[in-house]
This record gives sequence, structure tokens and C-alpha cells, in this order.
Amino acid sequence: MIKISKKIEMPWVEKYRPRSLKDMALPTAKVNGQRVNLAEELTSFIKNFFIERKRINRENAKIKEQNKTVIEKEQKDYIHIETDKAAVLLEGPPGIGKTSIVFALANDFNMDVVETNASDTRTRKALEDRLKETSKSRGIMDFITESKEKLILIDEVDGIYGVQDRGAVPTIIELVQNTQFPIIMCSNEYKSNLQPLYNNIRRFEVHPLPKEEVLIIAKNILKKENITQLKKEDLELLIDKNNGDLRGVINDLQGISQGKMDGNIRELILSLRRDSLEEIFTLIRDLFQVSSLRGARNLTDKSDVDYNFLYKWVNENLPTFIKTNEELVNAFENLSLADEIFGRIRTNQYWGLLPYFFDLFAGGVALSRKETPEAKGFRRVVFPRYSSGSYFSLTSVQKEFVEKINKKYEISQIDFIRTLLPFLKILCTTSRKQLKNVSDWLELDAKQKKMLK
Amino acid sequence: MSEEIPIWRIKYYPKSLDQICGRYEIKEALKNFITGRNFPHLLFIGAEGIGKTTLASMFSKEFLGREFDTNFKLVYGNVPLSEEERKLARSEAYVSTSKIGSIAGRRITTPAFIQVKVKPFVQLKVLGNAPFKILVVKNFEAIGNNQQGFRRLMEKYGSNCRMILITPKISSIIDPIISRCQIFLIPRVKFENFSKLINSIADNESIEVSSDGIDVLFKISEGRIFQAIDILQLSGVTGDKIDKNILYENAQRFQNDLIRSLLLISLKGDFPKSRELARKIISSYRYTSNELFNLLLKEINKLPLSRHVRSEMINLIADADFRAISGRDSDIQVSALLSKICLFSQYL
Repeated sequence: MIKISKKIEMPWVEKYRPRSLKDMALPTAKVNGQRVNLAEELTSFIKNFFIERKRINRENAKIKEQNKTVIEKEQKDYIHIETDKAAVLLEGPPGIGKTSIVFALANDFNMDVVETNASDTRTRKALEDRLKETSKSRGIMDFITESKEKLILIDEVDGIYGVQDRGAVPTIIELVQNTQFPIIMCSNEYKSNLQPLYNNIRRFEVHPLPKEEVLIIAKNILKKENITQLKKEDLELLIDKNNGDLRGVINDLQGISQGKMDGNIRELILSLRRDSLEEIFTLIRDLFQVSSLRGARNLTDKSDVDYNFLYKWVNENLPTFIKTNEELVNAFENLSLADEIFGRIRTNQYWGLLPYFFDLFAGGVALSRKETPEAKGFRRVVFPRYSSGSYFSLTSVQKEFVEKINKKYEISQIDFIRTLLPFLKILCTTSRKQLKNVSDWLELDAKQKKMLK
Repeated sequence: MSEEIPIWRIKYYPKSLDQICGRYEIKEALKNFITGRNFPHLLFIGAEGIGKTTLASMFSKEFLGREFDTNFKLVYGNVPLSEEERKLARSEAYVSTSKIGSIAGRRITTPAFIQVKVKPFVQLKVLGNAPFKILVVKNFEAIGNNQQGFRRLMEKYGSNCRMILITPKISSIIDPIISRCQIFLIPRVKFENFSKLINSIADNESIEVSSDGIDVLFKISEGRIFQAIDILQLSGVTGDKIDKNILYENAQRFQNDLIRSLLLISLKGDFPKSRELARKIISSYRYTSNELFNLLLKEINKLPLSRHVRSEMINLIADADFRAISGRDSDIQVSALLSKICLFSQYL
């Protein structure tokens, strides 16, 4: 029998994404402090939008007809849809199901979702190109294929910031006024530069799911995947760790279930640090899975993780994912070159070199993995634990020690730690009498004595 | 002496210029300065640990006499500023807007090292009877880019304060500073003087050192007197009679063989372990990456390797060191070097 090649496993987050609002555990939502039913509100929002759009299109057609008959001065302006009827904003912490709601909603109404990430189309022009096409007119394709209504999803609106994005917020508002399709925006937190948006559209504050709901969902998934080894208290611990982040729970479950399920699951769960680091962990894992430069670039571009910091993570975790020495050398060669380039960027402000830096530290490193098989199961990603040695500092115990010696003998901190301390250590381990003499002479306390042992 | 000092290195630290072992010509020259009550800026050059700082501070002590405490300062060029000193430098870097003139409210770009550690001392007037103050800067080459600023101080406050600069390598000191100083090349202790010193210590501690033992000690310590004394004390703990075998044994424990084991582990091709060890060395001895590379270089010259392998390794180290200069994160460069050595080991 021919063995069928390894089944590619979908991320569970995608696999178990709810198809309809009905079979979905809806998080609670508030508008201006009032609790509302999210499903009802959103359904009525979509329905009302299409009624409103019909009316406005009719009015505008009339105006157009009239305008043809009168001179330019007396022409009427077209009317716009009210912004709060054209768009809503869902605001809440990551991983609680905002995007899933939008997809489920679109599915219920048999609409396509046009998804834009505000963080990867940052400039006004790019936003316009991507969105106006779909929102203003119907594309040619729509006439050929069976025309389907569309739902526009602008994810991570709060990713808009800074000088580069100047003009992005007005563009979005303009877009909302002219849209032919309903728009739903998602954001993680309140941002002051989005204030014009808040003034114009309805803002739903979405709260995380209660723990019991998450537990039910997780149990369902485990049942479908035929996983029985996970104990209830372990599952609860995992959910507590993720703090309402359902996506995090599902990702962790998949991660755990792919590794060995015996022994210390509890320890493994405790070692998972998700909080704000969740993104960086998945990013690092993903980075070592990609097989093309473009893939690596996409990953680093999409993430909001500070690259200043990201390449240190790559450095720390390289040996976990890349095993043979040849690949390691290639990876480190690229990484060290990236580091050098980054140093020059920072000292001389050669920001034009930045693309090389990105390609080298992400793509160059990820692509050095040729022989080592793709990481199977759960690999632990660890926090960069080294100090890069730019600042010299002693621990407080060491400092007190030096001060005590300096009263009797002038020695610098560096000489102390390099020459005197190793000698004292050897001397004091050789004989207890010497230890006593030294500590008496310097009047050492217990902590400092311990340093000599 | 009322109290017995348990650390010999400190116990036998010289108390005057005369007690410093050997180097008679230099001591003679310095004594002439003392009788003349005047000397120019000095630059002491010599290998690490052979007693340059001791010479400088003993000389200053005798030159200043009773005013030594108030008019003398020893500054370490290689000890970076602490957190508080950094803050101080930042707060002092602004000229108050109440001052009139074009610099009011502007930032002064005096390097923090000079601003905090050197300038306050140099600017103050001489206290007491002394002709001028004395500032000793140890490891002067380590202050790097601040040398130009330092040169300015030497000119401006030279009449108020004389400087003694101490460095193991002259090549990293800029020419304008060299031309402003009188240069002293400090040699190592000669063997006869060294053996005199060791014998006097041995007499004092009632231990016996065989003559070939002194030979060995002289060789191992490479002119570093403090290290010779350290080894001697360590050997003295176990017995009164010391011959070359005991000395070798103790020196072995002493030698920094962490660097050697780092090289050996990476030559076996075990990258994760070697990186761990390298980090441990860096964090416990507070080496900069440059210092670590230099140590590795030294160790490679000691290991029994073929000419080809050695030159290849030196090449790798030089490349890593070069990149670390402009790079931001020295750990990456160290890791890169180790991984290259690990791979290289496969072709040995």
C-alpha cells in the first residue's frame, strides 16, 4: 500500500472558525456603556444599510437627472449616507472573536468579505486603491460572475499612526460616506488619533468571553480532535493563562496536542507565556516555517513587534529550530550581517539600508533551514536572556564588596571582578582558615561570604 | 602592624617608591622630578599588570607628600559610568537659560566621562602647599573618542593639574596627546629583582621556595607581580616547602581555562553548549566582545594547531571582531563566530 503523504494540518483557529452567528458564543458588547445584543445589532445594521443604500441611490439618480436639465450653478450635490449607518467599529482585546463575528455575519448574509489590514496598507494612496475599487463601484468581475454583495472589513484600525499614515483617517471617513457596501472596523484599543472616527460611527466595546464559555468551546474542540489526555484542571489553567483570549487558547491546545502528550503537561502550560508576548511567539514559530523570502517578509511586515527587539529573539531561538552546523553558520552569517547593517543604520542614519536588514534577519535566517525538517510538535520559544554587554554593572553585593576592599586597597571594579575575585574564590575554597581570615579582615556579611564559596 | 592582612597581594603592596621592585632607572628619573618639584604630563606604557599604576601612585604620593589626599585622583578609563553618573552628566549638559550669550539653553557636548569624572577635579584650584594636582588615568586607551576632549583639558588646566596617563598600548592613543607627554616605557621586572622580592616574601611568611620554583613563577606570571604573589600564597596554604610541581599545579587552577574549554567545546561542534559557556564567561567576568575575541586569539596561539587551521581561525575571529565594532548586539557576533568554529571543526 502506498502511504499517503503527511496530511497538512490546518490551524485549528481556522478549522473551528464559526460559520454562522447562530452557532457562535457571542461575547458581550456595550455601546456608550449600555449593554446590547451584538448579533441583533449587527444583523439590523446590515439590513438597514441595504435599505438606506437603495433609498440614497434612488435619490442620487433623481438628482443626476435634474442636474442634466439645469445650469451648473444650480446643480444639487449628491447626498451621502449617514456615517453611523454605513459603518461600525468593534473594539476589544485580541483573540476574543471580533474577526470571527464579521466572517460569520457575512456568511449568514451570503456576502464576500473584503479584508484590509490597516497596518499593511498604511498610506492614503494604498488604502484608496484597495478599498475604493470595491466600495464605490462594482468591478468588472462582478458583472461576469454572479454578483455577490460584499462586506468590507478593516482590521486593526488602531494600527494607523504616525506621520506616514497622515491622511489615512480622513480617507476612511470619506470612504464610509461613499461606500456601496457595509463596513466593519476592528480595533484593539482606544487611540486618540482615531477620534474623528469615533465621532462619526458607532463603537461597540466587545468584552472577552466568560471562562465557562471558553471551557465549553475548548472541550468541544478536544472532543472533535479525539484528545482525551488533557485533564480538566490543566485545561482550566490554560484558559486562565490566556486571560480571555480564545484564539490563544486554541493555538495553545493545538501546540500542546502536537507534542508528546505524556508527563508534565502542567509544566508545559506554565511555561507558555502568552500575555503580550503571544504575538512574538507565534511570529518566531512561523518565521522558521516559511520557505520563501516573500513569506518571511510578509510576516515581519505584518507584525507590530519592534524589529529592534525581534532580531534578538531570532538570535536566541535559532538553535531550537535549526540543527545542523552548516545551516547554523548560514543563518548566523546572515544575522550578523544584519546586525552590522543595523548598527550602521543607527549610527549614521542610513535608513535606506533598512530593507537589507529585514531581508537578512528574517528571510536569510529562515531560508537557511534546508536539511533540518520542519519543526514538528511544540517547540519552546524562549525569551532573549542575554545581555549584550554594552553597560558594565555589578550586582549590589559585588559593589559593596568592592567598596569594602577599596577602603584598604585601591582596585577598580573591573580588576576586582577579573583578577581579585577569582583568586579569592580559589583561596577560600582551598582552606576554611583563609576564608575566615579574609572575611574577618574585610568584615564581610553572610551574602558576601557566599560569593567566595 | 596591629592587624594581619590575609591577602598577600595587599600585604606586600609597596608603601613607597623605593619598595617597588626593580626598575631603578625609572625610579631615578621620577625621583629627580620630586626634588625638582616639577614634571610635565607623563605617559606610562607597558604590559598589563606589571606595576605601572603602582609606580604612578607611589610617585604621586611622594611628590605631594602631606597634600596627597586632597590633590590626587585615580580614574579608571575602562570602568563605564554608573547609572547615577550618567544622570549627573545629562543634567549638567545644559547651560541654564539665565546665562547670557549664544550658548544659553544649548546643549554642551562634553563627553560624559570627562564631564563627570575628570573636569570637576581638574578645574578646582590646588589645595595646600603643593605646586599642582595630579590626575592618574588608568587604561587611558579605553576612553576612546573622548581623547580629543581630554587633550583640551590637558592644555587648559595643565598648569593646575598634571596628568599621568597609563596604557598598555600606545597605538590607540592619538598623536596630539602623545606629543604633550613625556613617555616612559615601563619594562618588566628583571629576574634578579623578582627573585629578591619572592625570597623576601618567603622569608617573611616562613616558607621555602626552591630556586627552580622561582624560575617557574617568573615564567608563569609573565611579569605580573600580583599574580606571582597570588600563586605563591595559594601554594603556601598547602605546605611550607614549595617546588615547581606544586607551583605548576596551583597555576593550573588559576589559569583562566574557561576560554580554552570554550574553544574545545566549539571545536567539538556543539554549538548550543559553547554559546551557553560563552555567555557565562561574558557575564561573570564582564568582558566586552572585543576582549573576549582577544582572549580567544591568545588561546588559539597556545593550542597545538596546524598553521593552516590557526590562520583560518584567526581569520574568523578577526571578521567577527570587525563586525562587532559597527554592530549593535555583540552576542550575535559571538554566536556567529562560535557557529563558524563549530562548522570548521568538521574539516579538521
